[in-house]
Amino acid sequence: MKKKLLIAICAAFVVLMFGIALGSVYIPPGDILSVITHSVFGAALPEGFRAATVSIVWNLRIPRALLAFIAGGALSVSGAVMQSVLRNPLASSYTIGVSSGASLGACIVILYGVTLPLIGAFTLPFMGFAFGLGTILLAIAFAARMDRGMENNTIILAGMVFSLFVNAVTTLMTALTREHMQRLIFWQMGSFSMMGWSAVLILAPVALAGALLVTHYNRELDMMTFGEEQAKSMGVNLKRVKWVLLVTAAMLTGSTIAFAGVIGFVDLVAPHIVRRLFGSSHRLVIPMSAVFGGAFMVICDLAARTLIPPNELPVGAVTALIGAPFFAYIYFKRAKA
Amino acid sequence: MNGKARAFKNFYCAAEGRHMLSVNNVSAGYNGSDVIKGVSFDLDRGENLSIIGPNGCGKTTLLRTIANMLPFKGEITLGGKSTRKMKHREIAVKIALLSQITGIYFSYSVYDTVMMGRYLHVKDRLLGLPSDEDKKNVMRCLEAVDLVAEKDRDITKLSGGQLQRVFLARTLAQEPDIILLDEPTNHLDLRYQIELVEYLKQWASNGSRAVIGVLHDINLALRLSGNLMIIKDGCVRAHGRSSDIMTGGLLEETYDVDVAGYMRESLKRWEGVN
Repeated sequence: MKKKLLIAICAAFVVLMFGIALGSVYIPPGDILSVITHSVFGAALPEGFRAATVSIVWNLRIPRALLAFIAGGALSVSGAVMQSVLRNPLASSYTIGVSSGASLGACIVILYGVTLPLIGAFTLPFMGFAFGLGTILLAIAFAARMDRGMENNTIILAGMVFSLFVNAVTTLMTALTREHMQRLIFWQMGSFSMMGWSAVLILAPVALAGALLVTHYNRELDMMTFGEEQAKSMGVNLKRVKWVLLVTAAMLTGSTIAFAGVIGFVDLVAPHIVRRLFGSSHRLVIPMSAVFGGAFMVICDLAARTLIPPNELPVGAVTALIGAPFFAYIYFKRAKA
Repeated sequence: MNGKARAFKNFYCAAEGRHMLSVNNVSAGYNGSDVIKGVSFDLDRGENLSIIGPNGCGKTTLLRTIANMLPFKGEITLGGKSTRKMKHREIAVKIALLSQITGIYFSYSVYDTVMMGRYLHVKDRLLGLPSDEDKKNVMRCLEAVDLVAEKDRDITKLSGGQLQRVFLARTLAQEPDIILLDEPTNHLDLRYQIELVEYLKQWASNGSRAVIGVLHDINLALRLSGNLMIIKDGCVRAHGRSSDIMTGGLLEETYDVDVAGYMRESLKRWEGVN
């Protein structure tokens, strides 16, 4: 098991390195290390080192690859939590409305050109986050009101009702103002371009805190997969734990969507693959989902920007294009054996 | 503790009004309508109770209410203390519920599954890493249900009988005072049904524990305990020693079928079997 873990983490580093090295210009790993030591520790660059390389690596490639890694990790952790808490292999933050809410928030910003004071350029991500989280909270609060025990099916159904309603509002708003449709659709497809360090510095602490909090609840997650009654009978304070976990998962997805747009599939697939490889214990599933989902997203982003140059494909579509066959391979190969 | 000392202790606790478990005029149900209505009974240490009754009479609801899964009217006390004044974990550390097996969607090893029973005992609050004592306890529980050799197996690959023993071990790992059985013998073959009941009887016989069993099979229920409660339509129809309360008439009225006649007829069929 320890060997497997080590291999996974090393593989993630290699993938991250590839994500930085490859692109319109290939940059050898040695040069990448030079740039990192130069920028972080102020070490001198080798003679004849091109300034453009420093700029490409430090200002474009590294933040982009890191952002993709963090986003993939956060989405996967969120997916693992949703699947276990709601005891449904198809559940995710998207099922219970986070993307619909975030899209509505983005729609309002794009259509009406809203700019919030203090955060300025971050109005779009902030509104995406706030609306995404808001929709989920409303759905959960509604479910809790309808059904005091907060049964899983109630939550999923409530989430879908809210999600469809909010989607309809967004569709109406876009239909009435077609000139902005393109920008909105592009945002919804997801991308890591032009984000830079500021996005990394905001998203990283949020994602790390969320993942650590979820890891803290690893035993409760394990027990909840056996059903709520059994978890409760073993002493889990079900209602509170469920609230904390659902909100944390929604926050992880919401903040990722805010910066990268709606990227699907990874949150669904990464936890399943990790469970196949490492077993179901959440003490491993949560951190490994983060590592695996992160590496997977770096590969998808790499594909998105290098497959059909100079065009950049929407990363949201690439995740499913690469992920679906990979998922089918892993899942059904093991099922047969 | 020998029989005399136990009897004295029970007398002492009863005299103080401190039964191990006391259910007073409890009503509970779902969506505002009561499924059990005004149920009352006391249970002392070392005493088991079998609950029988037709489908939908409220047996499971009663167990779920005692295990603090449902809101209720009335009062339930544990050792004289009202459960309303206790946190859920304080109740869960005393009462464990063993239900029938439901779908298993995620694969865990037998060992990890039993370790989940240690939830309230594990001292490491940050990651929940088990101590040596927890590990020893889990191994003892696995030994008790004869699953040590299977400890690394995936629970999704076990047979129904093995799986039920895993859950029994997990329940034992909780170290509760009271085990509630909610028809745990469904889908088990005869041998495991008998083994489960015999094991729990032995478990409860140390004088400080008790088992409350809801069992479909009346014979199995009587095997668990001579202390019988018959429930119909959410109300207690009879409660006491089975030899005192059980009559053909009462069972027929409860189940709307001639139970005693059926049992006699079954018995006749066995007369010629060697």
